[in-house]
Amino acid sequence: MSDNTVTVVKHKKKFKIFPLVNGLVFILISLAIMLPIWKVIIDSLDASSAYSFRWVPSSFTLGGYGAIFKRAALYRPFLISCVVTLIGTFMGLLLVTLGGYVLIQWEMPGRNFFAYMLLFTMIFDGGMIPKFLVMKNLHLLNTLWAVILPMSINCYNLVLMRNFFEGIPEALFEAAEIDGCSPMRIFVQIVLPLSKAALASIGLMFAVAFWNDYTNFKIYITNNNLFNFQIKLRNMVMDSDIPNDDSVDPNTIASAAVIVAILPFAIIYPFCQKYFVQGVNIGAVKE
Amino acid sequence: MQCKSCNTELPKRAKVCPKCGTKVNDKPEGSLKVIAIIGLVVAMIGSMMPFVQNTEDITDAYSYMNISVPAMWYLFILCFVASIILIVLKKEKLSFISTALAAVIFIVSFVAFDFKGYTSRTNFTLHRLTELLSDGYNGSNYVIGAGSVLLILGLIIGVVGCFIDVLQYFKKDLGVDKKYLTNSINRSIWTTMYYHRGFYIMFIPVFIMIVLFYYWPMLGCRYAFTRYVITDPYYVGLKHFKQMFTNDVYFWQAFRNTLILSITKLVLNTGAAVIISLLLNEIVSLGFKKTVQTIVYLPHFMSWVVVASVFKMILDPNASGVVNSLLLKWNLINEPIYFLGDTKYWRGTFYVMNVWKDTGWGTILFLATLSGISPDLYEAAQIDGANRWKRLLYITLPALANTIITVFILNLAKVMNLFESVFVTINAAVYSVGQVLQTYVYFKTFSSGNSDYGYTTAVGLFKSFIGMLLVLTCNFLSKKVRGRGIV
Repeated sequence: MSDNTVTVVKHKKKFKIFPLVNGLVFILISLAIMLPIWKVIIDSLDASSAYSFRWVPSSFTLGGYGAIFKRAALYRPFLISCVVTLIGTFMGLLLVTLGGYVLIQWEMPGRNFFAYMLLFTMIFDGGMIPKFLVMKNLHLLNTLWAVILPMSINCYNLVLMRNFFEGIPEALFEAAEIDGCSPMRIFVQIVLPLSKAALASIGLMFAVAFWNDYTNFKIYITNNNLFNFQIKLRNMVMDSDIPNDDSVDPNTIASAAVIVAILPFAIIYPFCQKYFVQGVNIGAVKE
Repeated sequence: MQCKSCNTELPKRAKVCPKCGTKVNDKPEGSLKVIAIIGLVVAMIGSMMPFVQNTEDITDAYSYMNISVPAMWYLFILCFVASIILIVLKKEKLSFISTALAAVIFIVSFVAFDFKGYTSRTNFTLHRLTELLSDGYNGSNYVIGAGSVLLILGLIIGVVGCFIDVLQYFKKDLGVDKKYLTNSINRSIWTTMYYHRGFYIMFIPVFIMIVLFYYWPMLGCRYAFTRYVITDPYYVGLKHFKQMFTNDVYFWQAFRNTLILSITKLVLNTGAAVIISLLLNEIVSLGFKKTVQTIVYLPHFMSWVVVASVFKMILDPNASGVVNSLLLKWNLINEPIYFLGDTKYWRGTFYVMNVWKDTGWGTILFLATLSGISPDLYEAAQIDGANRWKRLLYITLPALANTIITVFILNLAKVMNLFESVFVTINAAVYSVGQVLQTYVYFKTFSSGNSDYGYTTAVGLFKSFIGMLLVLTCNFLSKKVRGRGIV
């Protein structure tokens, strides 16, 4: 009994200073992450083009955001980003689920061949220039398909999906089969409804990848009218390529553009954190 | 199927007998497969070579390849096809011999067969066949003829071989399957295939996309052996590789930078993630922990463009950059630092950006492992008088070690892929410290007008090859450490 009391006392004594320091460390880390973003947020709302750090804008304006959604040169890339993200995520999920479902058909002749075929793409990579030349041969350069198609077939995500499907009890498939379901019907009515969580995780992974895509646009697209928001943003910030035709400060517009590029996932993310985190864990922890 | 040592009925696809724990030796071990795969890749690259031939440039130091390859190549492609068939028939040893033979032929065709004396390609009867099968050889353009026909044939044979392999697997397994797999009992391979017809149709879109966007570019590696400026690639042998390894300082610079940047980044990110997850694990208040997690994960969702933009805004050397103005105000520096434009600071800034963006996200796996450690262990250690440090040293770290190694291995495989993060932050002033292989390929191809696609493909092929070796090594290490591969 006395032993127990001793430990409890020790426990309390020891825990006093450490949590405080630890908490402080995390407050500092959070600040280090949030302050740069906060500075950009304030810049995007400030018409005065003051540069020093401040907690609130000195003269409030929504002109930066207004400019993005009024000027065709700025809202067009935004719309293109949205379209690419939507179509790409849909196509990505379609291919990943179809492929994953076929890969769990262990008795299917050729299943191993398909699996090794996918596996090999993760080992050896054709390289940037051959991919570019393929796009050229397919006449896809300067179309949005050049960006959507190659990214929507993601073998890593396909294997994740397959791993998830493998966890579905086989008895379900057999029961459905005995009841006369065709493979497609099993897929639509049993497999997909059972894997909503995985669909959410992998769908979010696709959406983030498509929204943030910069490299593919840079390589395959040279037409100004088809640039997405990331390309536009980089041109604005790094090359100061901002149409300077009205009263809004270029720095305000650039900052607003940064915030607009972050915003979609900053809004979705706190609600879907579970799914994002789950995506990482099914990838590495689960067999 | 029955277990060999205790004769229990085994469940389908069991790896270990549930009763006695003996390993079920259903498939052969995969150690030779790795070698075979490497061999096949070499074979693939080699088999690309005769795709592109021309009669010009006969004076070129490497042009003898044009003459010597066809004859050797038929032997070569035979070995290549044989290896594929043998590997799917699970005759790994024979497949390995066949692949080794292919490699020997490959080397011999380079070294021993110096046909410089020959100027006429028609000396080779077999080469006649190429011309016969080729679709229009006009003397200067490249030809896709017998080469492609044989390659396609080889692939078809490979696929058929795979089916045969699966068929045998069935025959072996019928004993168990009888109970619940009524569909495949005593049926021929064609019936089984017909039964699965729906799945084949479902796989068609995936198959087409994979062939188009992964395998066709692999075929494009053949351009590494050609000179390809705008149109009409023609064969130059290993010229690009020779130039790359002996004459191109920028290539070596880029290679060095790739290794330095990726590996330092990997060590820093993993180290920071481990420390942060250890500290995060000590937080008692659940609400605070969740908030902190939400905040530190956030930068992961920003694109590299956004991260680079944010950092450019705060690190700007002009009055607009907060960091420089503060440092100036506190008299720590006399003139503004060009964080992103100075070779002295660029790498440091790059590492800071990486840590800022990805450390939080990197903690997920470590936190998952930490939450799996039984609290009983800590309690027992506490009762035994272990302090916080001792508990960390003897309980937490050993439990975490496996995950740390796993994360390290997973990321080591991606070392050569470093691209976008560098691509958006680099500028001409810092090429010497920041240029990596991928950006080098990009800038060399797309920034200058008449660039040689062949040369940059060669650089890319080198990068892919090193990347492949890394993936295979990491796969091997991963199998040793945690019992399963990464791919």
